[in-house]
Amino acid sequence: MALENRDGNLYYYRSVRRGDEVRKVYVGSGDLALIAYEQDVMSRAAEEHRRQEERHELEQLEALLAPVLEIGGAAEILARAHLIAGGFRRHKGEWRRARSA
Amino acid sequence: MPGALERYQLPPEDKERLEELRELSKRAEEGDEEARRELKRAVRESSPAVIARASDVSRRAQHMLIETAAGGSELTHYALSARLDVMRGEIAGDDPTPLEVLLTEQVVSCWLWITLLDALNSGQFWRGAEKAIRVGPSYLRQMVKIQESAHRRFISSIQALARVRKLQAKTPGIQFNTQINLR
Repeated sequence: MALENRDGNLYYYRSVRRGDEVRKVYVGSGDLALIAYEQDVMSRAAEEHRRQEERHELEQLEALLAPVLEIGGAAEILARAHLIAGGFRRHKGEWRRARSA
Repeated sequence: MPGALERYQLPPEDKERLEELRELSKRAEEGDEEARRELKRAVRESSPAVIARASDVSRRAQHMLIETAAGGSELTHYALSARLDVMRGEIAGDDPTPLEVLLTEQVVSCWLWITLLDALNSGQFWRGAEKAIRVGPSYLRQMVKIQESAHRRFISSIQALARVRKLQAKTPGIQFNTQINLR
């Protein structure tokens, strides 16, 4: 978005993306340009604030779930160790009793 | 809050034992007989304590998830705790081995995880939700990803328990002297 001052007059343009293409769209001039510009600045700030809050929430959620993941990994290692120590081996994804066991 | 989260993590010495078990399992699977003998010793000597502590950490982590899911409601807190107790009893069955107890805890934790995520996500799809409290598409995408991962882990935790049960039934059990109280 751009607020342009040409010969003492204000002109406001918004950048609009359509696919890979970014187009500059005329919004207005004079007071209207200023109002639209300030409105856009406020909307962007609110949007950024919302995104930050969401990031923070996701981080908290991930921290909350981390112990479940850690214990899941531990359980996997322990189960595998028990099976191998118990004389089993994996064959094409399937657990079988090893001949040597 | 790194200090507070330590209660929900395995101590470093247990992580070392797990790494040792993982390495020995890998070598034993590749046919290293010495590693297999060493693995048997490690499973007999060090794994009962690791299993007991992992089960303990798992219960504490469940408590933290219940607190979050309950959102201050004592009734929800009580209902979820009671539900988990019933689930533990049903899944673990009579006289479970310590490993079965740990795998049961994992199944229960994953169920709780899914329940929490379902509750958090369903609010976003509720038609009556105010537009202001709705979240952005990137947040939703991330949440759905976490939810899919939770479902995968839930299924794989059930498979792991079923596999251990099926295969252990075919072999004389390894005797452990560790007691874990389910209730």
